[in-house]
Amino acid sequence: MNTEKVVFGFFIVLAMTLNFGFFIGEYNNLLHHPVYELFAAIVVNLIATVLKFGDRTQIGAIHLSTSLVADLQLITSAIVWSAVTDMGEIPASDIASIGSVVSLSGGAFLANVTSVVILIVETVMMRR
Amino acid sequence: MNSIIFIVLRKMRVPLILLILCYAIAVFGLTLMPGVDELGRPWHMSLSQAFYVISYTATTIGFGEIPYPFSTPQRLWMLVSIYLTVIAWIYAIGKIITLIQEPTLKRAITEQRFSRQVKHLKEPFFMICGYGETGRNLLEALDRMDLRAVVIDIDEARLNDLLISNFHYDIPTLCGDAGLPAVLETAGIYNRYCRGVFALADDDHANLAVAVALRLLNPKLPLLCRAEEEGMAENMAGIGATSVINPYRSFGELLGTAIRSIHHYNLGDWLTGVPGQMHQTIVSPPSGRWIVCGYGRFGKAVVGSLQQEGIETAIIEADPALTGCTDCLVGTGSEAGTLIKAGIADAVGIVAGTNNDHMNLGIAMMARKLSPNIFIVTRKNHHFNGPLFEHVQADLTMQTSRIISHECLGHLVWPLLTTFLALMKRKPNDWVEQIYRESVDLIGLRSPETWEITINEDQTPAIAEALAQGREVTLDVLLRDPGDTERPLRCVPLLHFRADRKRTDIRPDLLLAEGDCLLFCGRDSAQKRQIQVMRNINALDFLLTGQVQPNGLLWRWFTQRHSNTR
Repeated sequence: MNTEKVVFGFFIVLAMTLNFGFFIGEYNNLLHHPVYELFAAIVVNLIATVLKFGDRTQIGAIHLSTSLVADLQLITSAIVWSAVTDMGEIPASDIASIGSVVSLSGGAFLANVTSVVILIVETVMMRR
Repeated sequence: MNSIIFIVLRKMRVPLILLILCYAIAVFGLTLMPGVDELGRPWHMSLSQAFYVISYTATTIGFGEIPYPFSTPQRLWMLVSIYLTVIAWIYAIGKIITLIQEPTLKRAITEQRFSRQVKHLKEPFFMICGYGETGRNLLEALDRMDLRAVVIDIDEARLNDLLISNFHYDIPTLCGDAGLPAVLETAGIYNRYCRGVFALADDDHANLAVAVALRLLNPKLPLLCRAEEEGMAENMAGIGATSVINPYRSFGELLGTAIRSIHHYNLGDWLTGVPGQMHQTIVSPPSGRWIVCGYGRFGKAVVGSLQQEGIETAIIEADPALTGCTDCLVGTGSEAGTLIKAGIADAVGIVAGTNNDHMNLGIAMMARKLSPNIFIVTRKNHHFNGPLFEHVQADLTMQTSRIISHECLGHLVWPLLTTFLALMKRKPNDWVEQIYRESVDLIGLRSPETWEITINEDQTPAIAEALAQGREVTLDVLLRDPGDTERPLRCVPLLHFRADRKRTDIRPDLLLAEGDCLLFCGRDSAQKRQIQVMRNINALDFLLTGQVQPNGLLWRWFTQRHSNTR
């Protein structure tokens, strides 16, 4: 067992699960989308991105690009959330804005799923 | 570029993850700390506010307590956050600084820069593999002649020496083994501006490695190798090196030429010298009995070529067993006894040819003392001993690096000159003497520049125009100063090509024709004057007619009218 692989897999899967947790729920109800989960998803996603740095292989490059997509989507989502809630001062009431926060994280979720699929494919191909 | 980014990213993984974690902990903790707003109501900081506060605190900007004054728990947490994040930043920055100084990264950056410099060289250049004394000599010559070069050497210290030297051009250098395909490729063997490769290391095996790699990778590129062992030289020639230079044999041949005909030697030496370098006219080495001290590779080459000229030699060698010398006196040659035994009294010349400069100087001094009129040939191994050799006043001094760079220039840089030198070898003595005396009188003792002129639309528009008008243009116009027609330019035509016919006896009344190719030697200033004549029809007219032609349309019309009415 390789510790590096464990840590790597852990962060990639955790990034996906946290992202999913935030995304799931009614799209216009902010109660279903706890903002701390978004925060955790961003942090874990960033760490996953950094872990993917410096791999020169083709698969490594795709890994990195999916992570960068997820980061971009999640950070945009957080910025939208900050903007509509006035830096979190007042609870969001605008349904369209909540929808955009949630849908942005949905996009990030898709990128994270891709990342996990690549991870699984890579592992299966290795056969070791 | 790619490799640098990858190295940096890989090394920055740990500090970046640490930074992210510290920020996450600090932001998350800050939102949990209870605070109060301006009306005293309980209040918790939101995530975005906390990120804002931590961002300006961690980077030590410090805007203060925003939006409300912090409560005690918030302040305590801020205290934790400050140390946490600031330490993480210091660690990350420290890591970046160590990364910059890391040899792998430095190497990647210099290689990167080198390959970019080579790519941006949009003019012909030569590749020099091995930057010793020879490489340096050659590079100086190329630099003086406005030719570009790239340098590869395995020793960083030598390249640093190059960097602090004063060259006109910025010379791209790479530290690496030139026998490696990747290194040769980076240095531009596939570059269409690369004109040739010089393998000049003082190690024959290294040069052979370069030759093999280059011949396999790019068989068309001209390659010139230095080889000191005969066997190696044959190997290199077999692989397909354009030419192989054995400095010892070259010098032996030169000495032979000098004994046979001193003028051939003088003219050759003067022409192939680094332009501007002082040429020393030598007097003819006498024919008679010679003493050769040192029977190494140099000594063998000299003895061989002396014997070829039918000259009797006596050999003095300190270690006959090592050098395989059967018939020689044992000794160094710097002691009077051995020299007298070798018969210095009736010898006409002595060769001080050991591989030790001080020994050679000692031999020369002792020989001068014993026989004041003897012809002395010394071998100079190191450039820096030059001043000592000047004081000893030898009649002929052989310096490996100078000989090799002469040959390099002759073979790859001036192909037409090589043709001329080959033709010259077959010319009679008095012809060569005349050319040599005339040229040196006109141009001076410093070695001249050499250049080629082709009569065509591109290079000589003015002459081409005059020829197209059916006027007769003689070579004379290229030999006179357009500013003062009485004064000759300081240059001499050496070779004239017309439809594959090579001629060396060129008279000033030669009629030029389109497509003619000429080789000149002379001063830089003369070349500039020639360019003026070749490009400017008015300057050419002045030389042809001796009159200043009116330039403008109005003036031309006016002069025409004037001459008509008269």
